[in-house]
Amino acid sequence: MRGYLDTLKVIVVIAFRNLFASRLKTLIVGGIILFGSMLVVVGTALVDSVDASMSRSIIGSVTGHIQVYNAKSADELAVMGNFQMEGADLEQIDDFKTMREALLKVPNVKTVVPMGLSGAMVPAGNSVDVVLEKLRDLVRRQQAGEDVKAAIPSQKDHVRQIVAVLATDMANVGKVLNDKAVAPEERAAIARATAPDFWDEFDQDPLGTLEFLENRIAPLASDADMLFLRYVGTDPAAFAKSFDRMKIVDGTTIPPGRRGFLFSKWMYEGQVKLKTAHRLDVIHDAILKRDKAIATDPDLQRLVKQNATEVKEIMLQLDSQQTDAFRAKLQKELASQESDVSKLLAEFFRVDDGNIIRRYKFFYDELAPSLTLYRVRVGDTLTIKAFTKSGYVQSRNLRVYGTFTFEGLEDSHLAGNLNLMDMVSFRELYGFATPERDREIQAIKAAAGLKEIDRDHAEAELFGAQPSEPESPAAVATVDDADAVLRGLAGKHRRERREDQAYDPAQLEQGVVLNAAVIVRDPRRIPQTMRDIEAAGTRAGLTLKAIDWQKASGLVGQFVTMIRYVLYISVLIIFAVALVVINNALVMTTLERIAEIGTLRAVGAQRRFLLGMLLVEALAVGGLFGGIGSALGAGIVAVLRIVGIPAVNDIFYFFFSGPRLHPGLSVANLAIALAIVLVVSGASSIYPGLIAMRVSPRQAMQSDE
Amino acid sequence: MTHIVSVQQVFKNYTLGTFVVPALRGVSLDVEEGEFLAIAGPSGSGKTTLLNLIGCVDTPTKGLVRIAGNATETMSERQLTRLRLHTIGFIFQSFNLVPVLSVFQNIELPLLLQRSATTKERRARVEALLDRVGIREYASHRPSELSGGQRQRVAIARALVTRPKLVLADEPTANLDSVTGTNILDLMKELNRTEKTTFIFSTHDARVWSYASSVVRLADGQIVDRVTAEEAVRAGGVPGQPSPRAT
Repeated sequence: MRGYLDTLKVIVVIAFRNLFASRLKTLIVGGIILFGSMLVVVGTALVDSVDASMSRSIIGSVTGHIQVYNAKSADELAVMGNFQMEGADLEQIDDFKTMREALLKVPNVKTVVPMGLSGAMVPAGNSVDVVLEKLRDLVRRQQAGEDVKAAIPSQKDHVRQIVAVLATDMANVGKVLNDKAVAPEERAAIARATAPDFWDEFDQDPLGTLEFLENRIAPLASDADMLFLRYVGTDPAAFAKSFDRMKIVDGTTIPPGRRGFLFSKWMYEGQVKLKTAHRLDVIHDAILKRDKAIATDPDLQRLVKQNATEVKEIMLQLDSQQTDAFRAKLQKELASQESDVSKLLAEFFRVDDGNIIRRYKFFYDELAPSLTLYRVRVGDTLTIKAFTKSGYVQSRNLRVYGTFTFEGLEDSHLAGNLNLMDMVSFRELYGFATPERDREIQAIKAAAGLKEIDRDHAEAELFGAQPSEPESPAAVATVDDADAVLRGLAGKHRRERREDQAYDPAQLEQGVVLNAAVIVRDPRRIPQTMRDIEAAGTRAGLTLKAIDWQKASGLVGQFVTMIRYVLYISVLIIFAVALVVINNALVMTTLERIAEIGTLRAVGAQRRFLLGMLLVEALAVGGLFGGIGSALGAGIVAVLRIVGIPAVNDIFYFFFSGPRLHPGLSVANLAIALAIVLVVSGASSIYPGLIAMRVSPRQAMQSDE
Repeated sequence: MTHIVSVQQVFKNYTLGTFVVPALRGVSLDVEEGEFLAIAGPSGSGKTTLLNLIGCVDTPTKGLVRIAGNATETMSERQLTRLRLHTIGFIFQSFNLVPVLSVFQNIELPLLLQRSATTKERRARVEALLDRVGIREYASHRPSELSGGQRQRVAIARALVTRPKLVLADEPTANLDSVTGTNILDLMKELNRTEKTTFIFSTHDARVWSYASSVVRLADGQIVDRVTAEEAVRAGGVPGQPSPRAT
């Protein structure tokens, strides 16, 4: 043993002295290895940290550890979306209860949350509609004998203000473009609404005039955009319990057994809030939380410009009294004599790094209380119109119970673009039959005197020898078609009744779902649990497919895998270069030392001694510089851990699971770097080793002949 | 007497492109233990080729080479290497020391390859040889810091450190001045006498012959004759060589 160690010592001495003998070569080779190993340590540490953060974000926000869906589905489930515009085409799982019971038999499964993903367009109404609706309400109440005389003039005044704003807007469009840019009927409508006798006409025929305003004037206000809402239908209580990062920000959660809707706070702020106010929030937060500056950030400059030019949405909300109040406040705040409130607002919103904090406070203290900040407020009823899977439109009026967010992911659109709905309403909007709906259809059928006809005997029943009683058109159709017709017939009636209507909580368990989130006890056993889940499904007569959180989240989840591949390819390229360079350096060294190698062979060195010598030489360079590179990499990671890498945008916010990533270093990161370095170094000594092994001891004799 | 070396009807051809160059043509030679044998001949006569075959660093095209009772033609490359390590010491014309090792480490190297001696034994043996060849004070020096004679002393010490039965020296004085060459030959002769080590060296330097117990004269790949040193000097040199001057 001692002899081996001493031989190794000689090998090491020869190797190291050779390295010192060709310092430049050693430094070049070492430099490449140093950089490569540093990249591996820093890169793998960052990717692992992002992976861990992102898994927290994704698992904790919507996917759970595992997602389960019907294996017969045409598409793969992508909870957070993919490049397709439409959602994934998933087959339904008929009975959640059966699936849940089967899955809970798998030892590692902790909870199973029913789910379904879909999207809908929601008409949120524009600010003119809101004002006109208020005026219509006052008129109705007046006609019903209520004393609202004092309130009507103020509301009328607000409408006149709106019409004036729209008229100015139209005049500006005409100036900037040309008169043809404005349609003649729009011009005529504005002309009529601004005519002095229009409001006299209103007093005589308020409902007729309101209809004109609603149909011809309201559409001219361009803030009437639709909300596109992606939502997950689920059992709200089970969801909140399983995804413990979820917290209610405004209002309450959807009470058990009630239909309802929860906005994601991110979506609520970004889509439902007054745009000017939202943009001001974004600018304010970017400066305070992300150390950005308007002076240097083009995105913030764009938001400032948008706020300064798009004051109309505020102007449309102001009646004459509010306009006067805004004028006075803004003149004082801005120390301006300008009387045009829209110009004052534009000036006010033209914020810079010096005044943003003050103006933000002023806006919320002085101006916002007079404005409707949110188009839909907690407690309002939201009409959601969605296309069912078979293509017809279903709509539901759902009460907005509140807003929610996922702790640590407040600013992330990836975590924030899914809203929440009770599973029963989801099923109805998706076009699934529910026991309640079946009962309703049966009742309508009975009331209409319909009878079901077997498809095979339909012809005989309808046109056979014994003609039946004259049939209603609906009865002539197939049962399926009849259902659709009846659904249409019953539509409005049911919509009105169902709002806020309670349902039996047992329905959550017993109905159809599209997918389910599974929370496991031990996340290290996810792959085995997925196999167990599929097997449990098969035993229960279900064709289930289980996918992990990374796959379930779609492209988002595969981001880290992609980054990992990019890192590995970079590392591969660097070390391929290193391999070639080390190999060449060693080949040159070997060729320069043919006589020496021949002498070693002559005096009794076996071939493996020579191979060992070159191997040690390569490993020494790799180990030394790889060690230094790894240590430097570890140092960089340690500094980044203290300082933190800021999330530059909301995508990184999600990937970092918060505003900053504080990467951690694991033994594995260092081990991988050193292993790669040593493997590459070892591999690069193979060819020179083969050359050395082929050197004959005769070379020693021939050296000077 | 036992033959430490027995070469029987050995032929060695080298192929250069399409040409076959015969280097040795039917050489037979027996060397007894303890001999101090010189192989003399002009350049190209086959001296080095014969040494290579005796040193087991090359194999004959035809014929038998027996070293210390080992039939080399039946031995594997690995066995031949072990034979060289344990039985043969080499002294090269250009010294062939490992430049990155110290004098001590160069001498110690074959012992390390043998892996049989303890550190203490190795140290003792290397230090004894350093004393014998007179370079004790240079033990920690690198070969590049030594003169030619000193380097050859290191090479001799390295050749003897494993206590081989046979030492082969290829033109050991060729790169040395006459005084240093004479000193090296004195040293080799002394070691031959005291250690009973067999020395075979190639040379075309007539001065060296006087040290030899016998001289094998080669010409054109064949042994011309084998004579005593005195006979060789009297014969007026080897074929193709000028008459040696008296030393």
